[in-house]
Amino acid sequence: MSTDAIIETRELTKRFGERLAVDRVTLSVPRGCAYGFLGHNGAGKTTTIRMLLGLTSPDTGTMTVRGMAVPQHRSVALSRVGAIVEEPHFHHHLSGRENLRLLAAVRGPETFARIDGALERVGLAERSTEKVARYSQGMRQRLGVARCLLADPELLILDEPTNGLDPAGILEFRQMIRALVGEGRTVFLSSHLLDEVEKACDAAAIIDGGRIVTSGPIAELARGTRVELIIDCDNPDRALELLAGAPEVLEAERTGAGLRLTLRAAGDGAELNRRLVEAAIAVSRLEPVRSTLEERFLEVTSRLQAVA
Amino acid sequence: MSAITFAQMLSAELLKLQRKRAIMAIAAFFTVGVTVLYFGISEVQHLADPGRYGPAGGMHNFNRATVILSIFFGALTAILVGTEAGTTDTASGVFRDIVVTGRERAWLFAVRVPAALIVTLTLGLSAVGLALAATYGFAGGLPTPDATYVVDSVLWVGGSQALLCVIAVGLGSLTGSRAGSLTALLGWQLVAGRLLAMITFLGGARDAIPNIALGALKPGEQLPDTNGLTMSSALAVLIIALWAVGWLALGAWRTRTRDA
Repeated sequence: MSTDAIIETRELTKRFGERLAVDRVTLSVPRGCAYGFLGHNGAGKTTTIRMLLGLTSPDTGTMTVRGMAVPQHRSVALSRVGAIVEEPHFHHHLSGRENLRLLAAVRGPETFARIDGALERVGLAERSTEKVARYSQGMRQRLGVARCLLADPELLILDEPTNGLDPAGILEFRQMIRALVGEGRTVFLSSHLLDEVEKACDAAAIIDGGRIVTSGPIAELARGTRVELIIDCDNPDRALELLAGAPEVLEAERTGAGLRLTLRAAGDGAELNRRLVEAAIAVSRLEPVRSTLEERFLEVTSRLQAVA
Repeated sequence: MSAITFAQMLSAELLKLQRKRAIMAIAAFFTVGVTVLYFGISEVQHLADPGRYGPAGGMHNFNRATVILSIFFGALTAILVGTEAGTTDTASGVFRDIVVTGRERAWLFAVRVPAALIVTLTLGLSAVGLALAATYGFAGGLPTPDATYVVDSVLWVGGSQALLCVIAVGLGSLTGSRAGSLTALLGWQLVAGRLLAMITFLGGARDAIPNIALGALKPGEQLPDTNGLTMSSALAVLIIALWAVGWLALGAWRTRTRDA
């Protein structure tokens, strides 16, 4: 396994009775980025995370966190990992600050000094003495992040962190993730919300039916293997005739106002434009088709088959 | 793990328990409150009708108070505090958040035991202190216990409460269910244990019942629960140790292996 990955799994498998929850998951999460872990509910995201954190043990496979094998070196590996699994839980009869004190006690004496900063950072300093029972869902999520920050984490593992947040809370959370990445930390963000992953993450893996179906930088994932171009011009029929047989073009079709082409490579658009202009065809629009992660997600997961 | 970290974790466990106001109030009532009521009512009765009611203090009332504070109300306090300590993290869902810190699970269990014992014994021994004060203060002309008897009694009450407390921590950690553990232990302590002690055909097997073993170590008058059963002090200590170690081992094992 390479050492520049903060999380690496190889052939990780977990079965609950007859159900295969995680099926030979091999994953490599680079340091210093926000990495999305995308999948439908029940796809195997949380089970994978639970294995990484030692909350449940895998049936087979190996994994490392911060370069250390887990569960063998779990204590050291997790000493600088902050995690929220599903939703953060607290002792509701204690205040936010007291809840952080409990966790600081478990993590070690040096952690107490980080409590004030963590509360300040998530905007709970002024309400830290109130009982958690009085906190809103959003405040509890923020307190969960504060608890993660007590570890001065190299890695944050956040499982569905925006569940229950309003749009403003989601935006705030996204900004916090980017700020954490800006500090050199790695955020591993599990979500079933495509938009959330697309906007917050640099790279992602898509899991479906317990298996990783694809992974890579968000832009590449969204684009997939298809490079498409829309061209509007004053003579689309002649343009289609000219470009349909071009070596750069895999597919060409006439659309309402122009053409839609599937290209071999993203850089081929300029060459096609030159040919059209040389053929005295006036090009009014030449636009790469920007696929969304949602389209790619539906393309590669079983949900597409269900929809179809 | 360093001693400082252990002390801080212990302090955190105590904080969790102390802030459970309702449980602390009930636990305090079963120990301090019951003692105050027992001696207070007895003294009021004595003052109201000295010919019919004797003084509230003295040896006999001290003995009764120690029984109340060991296998009756004191036991309830020990069970209540012990199950709370054993289950509070799992019941609140915080156990998962603690486990992901990477701290060895054995230590997460280990700190529960002294925390529960500190709370239980603080309340229990405070009540014994009150009972002692009343024993001497309200003795009138009745005989009072000597220093040796007092020390033996305090150790016996403390030991009884400690045993039930660690059993409760162990069972709570094993099941993760506060309601289930409470019901099982209260049922055992108040009903099942006593019924088993009365079933004569069980013979010597009844020695394994904790209250019988505790009774064998009681200074002074015999416990009513023992039904005439006797055993050596060494055997009684062994039985008590096996109960404590057994339940602690089960609780520790489950804490280490539980899916969080």
